[in-house]
Amino acid sequence: MTSRLSRAAGKYLAFAQAAARRTMADRTVAAGRVVFLGVILFVFSRIWRLIGAADALPGVTERELVWYLAITECCVLSIPPVFLAIESEVRSGDVACRLVRPVAYVGGQIAEAIGETALRLAVMAPAGALFAYLLGGGLPADSRGLWLTVPLGVTAVLMAILSMAAIGLSAFWVVDTSPFFWIWQKATFVLGGLLFPLELYPEWLQKIAHVTPFPLMCWAPGRMALGFAPDVALASALSGVIWLAILCGLIALLSSRARLRLTVNGG
Amino acid sequence: MSQAIELEGARKVFRVRERTRGVAGALRGLVSRGTREIVAVDDVSFAIAPGERVAFVGPNGAGKSTTLKMLAGILRPTAGRVRVSGLEPGRERKLGFKIGAVFGQRSQLWTNLPALDTFELLARIYELAPGEYRARRDELVRAFEIEEIAQKPVRQLSLGERMRCELVASLLHRPEILFLDEPTIGLDVVAKATIRDLVRERGRRDGCTVLLTSHDTGDMERVCERVLVIHRGNLLLDRPVDALRKSFIPRKRVSVVSEEAELSLDLPGVRRLPSAPHRTELEVDLRAVGVDRVVSQIFSRARVLDLSIEDPPMEEIVTAIYAGASAHRANA
Repeated sequence: MTSRLSRAAGKYLAFAQAAARRTMADRTVAAGRVVFLGVILFVFSRIWRLIGAADALPGVTERELVWYLAITECCVLSIPPVFLAIESEVRSGDVACRLVRPVAYVGGQIAEAIGETALRLAVMAPAGALFAYLLGGGLPADSRGLWLTVPLGVTAVLMAILSMAAIGLSAFWVVDTSPFFWIWQKATFVLGGLLFPLELYPEWLQKIAHVTPFPLMCWAPGRMALGFAPDVALASALSGVIWLAILCGLIALLSSRARLRLTVNGG
Repeated sequence: MSQAIELEGARKVFRVRERTRGVAGALRGLVSRGTREIVAVDDVSFAIAPGERVAFVGPNGAGKSTTLKMLAGILRPTAGRVRVSGLEPGRERKLGFKIGAVFGQRSQLWTNLPALDTFELLARIYELAPGEYRARRDELVRAFEIEEIAQKPVRQLSLGERMRCELVASLLHRPEILFLDEPTIGLDVVAKATIRDLVRERGRRDGCTVLLTSHDTGDMERVCERVLVIHRGNLLLDRPVDALRKSFIPRKRVSVVSEEAELSLDLPGVRRLPSAPHRTELEVDLRAVGVDRVVSQIFSRARVLDLSIEDPPMEEIVTAIYAGASAHRANA
């Protein structure tokens, strides 16, 4: 049983390693992403200064807000569009080549996305920290919570990857999955608190956001830059585990149904 | 002896949504959509013994690729029984270790990376020990002459080069059964010949069963010993390749290059095909005259510089089978 599990883990690790190698080959794209992160942080730090966003949150300064945005943007920009990879393989019929292998198709896609995300994060996280340090003028006033961004950030990217994989699997039913992605992405931006901490939202909107999984994909890791809050971190981590289990179940269900729906384009 | 591949009454029906034309049709489609059924494979039965190399031929849309995808476990049959290496495709994942597949119009290689990187990934997927993998990879890389090709990013390869890498990828884990779906599609004459030779040789050497779909009859002639002909989802014919040729087109094509500009014969069953000065093309119906009589008359009437006797192209054979089947159905 253990050796079976380790063999399976080895296969998915191989997918992740291969995806990381592929990502390393795209150095220009990685550089572009880092520049984009720098621009975003610069623009929003200036906007916040202009509107005095930090004044609305007691104990929070512009510096903490820049760190918040650096963390949430790093999470979002590090995730490859898994749904597009699945959709294009289903559309082109290349999925046929993958389905004959003794490995779960969607598992391979998820492992590839994790490998790519890990490598992207290895570049984006130090770059984001450097930008936040320079634009915010130093570390957050209470930086004890920053290390908690690691487990919460991992949960956030895993949730985002699984969500996108589920969206990609819808390609077995619909030709174009982008409408689902747009809805999911906009919900992540708004209800997830990509640009502003949820604490700046009206109370009723905060309540709605917190019953959805979206804050766990942005707000939860970013919140750790606003001040040390182990109770929030613990609650978010527990909630994240539950949502990850739900997403895994959804993907398993969609995968089993998708195989029955398959028609391969071009014969 | 148990069969490598068995199909009994296999049937595959696709249900597709009907799209109505025009704006009104599109609006109606928002509320309710009709569906129609397309029978891609209808009651197909055959068995293939281990080690056989079998061609599965037919025109576009005949159902050959659908059948192959049912065998590979990609599609589930609507009805019937399908067994590959004693396992039920699509339900038993361990079948993946026993089969290899190449789909000519698809790629299993990562386009931005060298093929060697995909080979490494496949070695892990197929649970090959590092030493075993390296030995097998080196053997195949040498046999398929891709030492340099395998180190370039796949996107930089020609179609023929990519196809050689695809074949190596599908053979790495020593599959018992190799499914090839249009492996020579889009290739030039030289690349086609290379791929055919490599598949035949590898099939013989590894002793693996080969099921090859194609609408290029050259593939079945050069690679396979048995042919299954499918048309409109039904199995039309199951014969050895040689027997198929003999029973369906009992004709030979004779080409003569002579010192004389013109050459004419007066034998029954001999038809002159479009020819050029000093080069005469003849079609001989063997039911009416023996090819030996034709050759002796040629030598008696001309000073022959060159002479060749060939079977007609297999395309004609398959066309004749389709025509025969259509006539049979019309009479019935």
